[in-house]
Amino acid sequence: MPEVHDRPLGVIVCAADPAALDRLVPPGHGARVLRVAPDEVLAVVAPDFADDVRRELADRVAALDHDALVLDVSDGWAAIALVGDDAERALSYLSALEAPAADGFAQGDVARIAAKILREPDGLLLLVPAYGRDHVRTRAIEDAGAVEARA
Amino acid sequence: MPWLRLDGRRVEIHDGDTVAAAAFRAGVRTFTRSLKAHRRRGLYCGTGDCANCLVTVDGLPGERACVTPARDGMQVERETGWPSAERDALAINDRLHRFMPVGFYYKVFARPRWLWPVAERVIRRATGTGTLPPDAPTRRTPTRFVRVRTLVIGGGVAGLAAAATAAGEGSVVLADEAAPGARATDPAARDAIARLTAEARAAGAEILEQHAAIGIYEGPAAALLGPDELVEVEAEHVIVATGALEAHGVFPGNDLPGVWLGRGAARMTAIHGVTIGERVVVVANTEEGAHLSEALRATGATVTLVTGRVLEARGTRQVSSVTVLTPEGRRAFACDALVLSLGWAPRDTLLRMTAEPEVVGAGDVVRPGSTLAEAEASGRAAARGQADQPTEATSWPIAEHDGYVCVCEDVSMHDLERAWDEGWTSSEILKRYTTATMGPCQGALCSRHLAEHARAKGAAPAARGRTTARPPVRAPRLGDLIGGVHEQVERRTALHDRHVAAGARMDHSGVWLRPGTYGDVGEEIRVVRERVSVMDVSTLGKFLVAGVDARTLLDQVFPLDVGAIAPGRARYLLALDEAGYVMDDGLLAALGDGSYFLTSTSGGADRMEAWLRNWIDRLDLHVHLVNQTAQLGAINVAGPNARDLLATLTDDDLSRAAIPYPGHADIVVAGVPCRAIAVGFVGELSYELHHPRGRSEGLWDVLLAAGEPWDIRPHGLDALDVLRLEKGHVYLAQDTMPDDHPAKLGLRWAVASQKETFVGKRALERMDALPLERRLVGLRFDGAPQRGHPLAVDGAIVGRITSCAVSEAAGGPVGLGWVRAVDGAFPDQLTAGAVTATVSPTPFYDPEGMRLRA
Repeated sequence: MPEVHDRPLGVIVCAADPAALDRLVPPGHGARVLRVAPDEVLAVVAPDFADDVRRELADRVAALDHDALVLDVSDGWAAIALVGDDAERALSYLSALEAPAADGFAQGDVARIAAKILREPDGLLLLVPAYGRDHVRTRAIEDAGAVEARA
Repeated sequence: MPWLRLDGRRVEIHDGDTVAAAAFRAGVRTFTRSLKAHRRRGLYCGTGDCANCLVTVDGLPGERACVTPARDGMQVERETGWPSAERDALAINDRLHRFMPVGFYYKVFARPRWLWPVAERVIRRATGTGTLPPDAPTRRTPTRFVRVRTLVIGGGVAGLAAAATAAGEGSVVLADEAAPGARATDPAARDAIARLTAEARAAGAEILEQHAAIGIYEGPAAALLGPDELVEVEAEHVIVATGALEAHGVFPGNDLPGVWLGRGAARMTAIHGVTIGERVVVVANTEEGAHLSEALRATGATVTLVTGRVLEARGTRQVSSVTVLTPEGRRAFACDALVLSLGWAPRDTLLRMTAEPEVVGAGDVVRPGSTLAEAEASGRAAARGQADQPTEATSWPIAEHDGYVCVCEDVSMHDLERAWDEGWTSSEILKRYTTATMGPCQGALCSRHLAEHARAKGAAPAARGRTTARPPVRAPRLGDLIGGVHEQVERRTALHDRHVAAGARMDHSGVWLRPGTYGDVGEEIRVVRERVSVMDVSTLGKFLVAGVDARTLLDQVFPLDVGAIAPGRARYLLALDEAGYVMDDGLLAALGDGSYFLTSTSGGADRMEAWLRNWIDRLDLHVHLVNQTAQLGAINVAGPNARDLLATLTDDDLSRAAIPYPGHADIVVAGVPCRAIAVGFVGELSYELHHPRGRSEGLWDVLLAAGEPWDIRPHGLDALDVLRLEKGHVYLAQDTMPDDHPAKLGLRWAVASQKETFVGKRALERMDALPLERRLVGLRFDGAPQRGHPLAVDGAIVGRITSCAVSEAAGGPVGLGWVRAVDGAFPDQLTAGAVTATVSPTPFYDPEGMRLRA
């Protein structure tokens, strides 16, 4: 049975010309950069580094596209981790999406919520709009057999 | 000894029993009554293919007794017959059957028109298979999605051989209705299945036991129904190895209890150790039937093995004699069980659901009557891409006499003949007219008979094929059907727990859960009008529109003059589609840096985002659209004391000079950065505080605490419905229709017609040239109106009430409603039942808008 954990996460959106994003040097601090659309990337990072990453992205993208937009949207996202060997099986109860490779991500319908799926060393990470957190958690537990994380 | 209760009677269960085995051993012979004639029906196929043994198990109707494992304490009820299946008063229908041929209902009850609704109630009560309990729990079956290289359906020899072979090439899932081998009666078959199961598992195949395939779809994809899950499988290859069942013999008396198909009798004998009769006649045209007679003899029964064609079976409560045309001539036998092994009918419904080349068959389903070695070879060949082509059933008995063709729907040979004579001369329309093949077994037994009948009657080739096979093969529950499809998404705001703790009744409002009321709607309204209140409006769609072309986009798309909105100001916004119809509304606020903040209705946020992104692409604009609906919480502080309250929590200027109406400013409230927007939906001084969602609870708490001197209370949707109605504001969808343009809603003022272009402009211009045929009006009533009630003039209905409430602030009952023009003019006086409605200007409350501009 995978465990369901809430993972605090910083999320920065960077919207810019696609050509600029093609040339954008990813930020540091362990941020994972998800190209969610041709003209938009999300940088996912530990909360403590969210501000640093936002600044880095703003500086770097400004040199490539003066009209770019960089915004800390951490409040809009909830990160739910499915931890354990059965994480992929649990995901199969929530979504028709395949679990991504280690360095990739998938995006689409997770329990009828638009979500991103990332692979973590200990399982899978579901990035869902904050208003959908409770719904996805409930479905993970009721349908997918996941259990609340032990305190 | 474990036991179950059957119609209240205690029935012992032996190890491995099905419900049918336990009941039969206890003496039950009549399991159901037939649909129309209420004839006795007993165990027949014994393999879950027919509908003769449907019973209600633990309150759930339609369970197949012959394949449902018996459990200690199970409550089983026979579900047909009145007052009982054993003594059914409606069995009189059998005597009247000749007077009620197929099509009887359509013809007899068609005129006069009032007759059918009456007859339908009676017919529905007399037919049907079980009743859902009114308090049945709602249940959505969890759905699992699986992608696999090869899906094998069927855990017999062919299926397991296919799975074992295919597993070497990639991922394999094998689904079986029971467990591989659980229903095999032949020891050699059981051994082969055990060997192949081990081989398949060792090769890595996943075997899903108790998972019935209910349909194959384009893709190919398949739906598997398990005990606790629905599995949606996308496969590169599908191998159907569902075997064959014995041919359904059609002859007078073929539906009597005591008439069995061979494999059902074999299972009852070999697996459950039940003696099916003392004097058994086996009519066998297959080798398996001959073996079966030996097995039946071993139970102590007197068995007569006959080869030939059954002419007739007789009996009342169950079969008592059979007449067979043998090579030696016509012979009659007394018996208490008649076992038929007449030939094989491929169980090929799934295979016929698709013509995709990736879906193939293996074993009996394509080569009925295969030996074990042939079945294994067929399965392995299918896995290697060399599947056998389907062959027609051998020794297929063509119905020539009377008897029931479709036992589910009580359709006899006479019915088919009569329908044919009436002109229904193809298998497909015979099906529709007679409803043969449309019962719970979905034509498993009878679809070939229908085609054979059409062929024998000389139907053209195109009119004598088998009827179309469609899902579901097995009857799913409603919860299974909505699994993976219907999902009640519950979006929650950051304040959800606060609302619940405050005792709010949480309502579904679109995809959101929102407080309907905190207990006293009247008080919630008064607090807004007289003091100060807060409402969680985090559900509003919220968008940041930025980029060099932000203004161009908004100007091109929306019918308001975007350039006229100075930074710090806001405007009401209508969103029109290309036809000029109102699709959403909201507010547009100009930010200082050339970007804009846009709000939409809660239910329209997703559509608004998709719509704007579409226009960004179509117009090829450099615009960054950020949906901030999830990121920002929003609390509306409303009431005459709203500014006083906020002044205790901020040092920022809250005056009209700083935050004009309608306008906005960035302020800090109790340490929380907020975009305060002065709005007027409830008609009082109001500030929508848009803030980071993570700060919502703290802000809510501090607002409530600071509002104590004014006896602050939150208000919910019920109060909002009245408050906005008093101001004459429309609720999109509730007060509007899909083809409403602004003029019909009285919102023409929100359209800047002088603009060169916006979405829907041309359509509006055309519509402006036409007289309005209906419009939304304000209404005052002299009594208590009801929402949805028709509005009439001189008895003619000309509209309906879309919103109404008894309003203290408006001085009585008021509402909104649609009114059609009568003879080119809109009526001023209407009736809504006994209530008189007078068209009245809106707003009903504070028409000058002084309070919200305070």
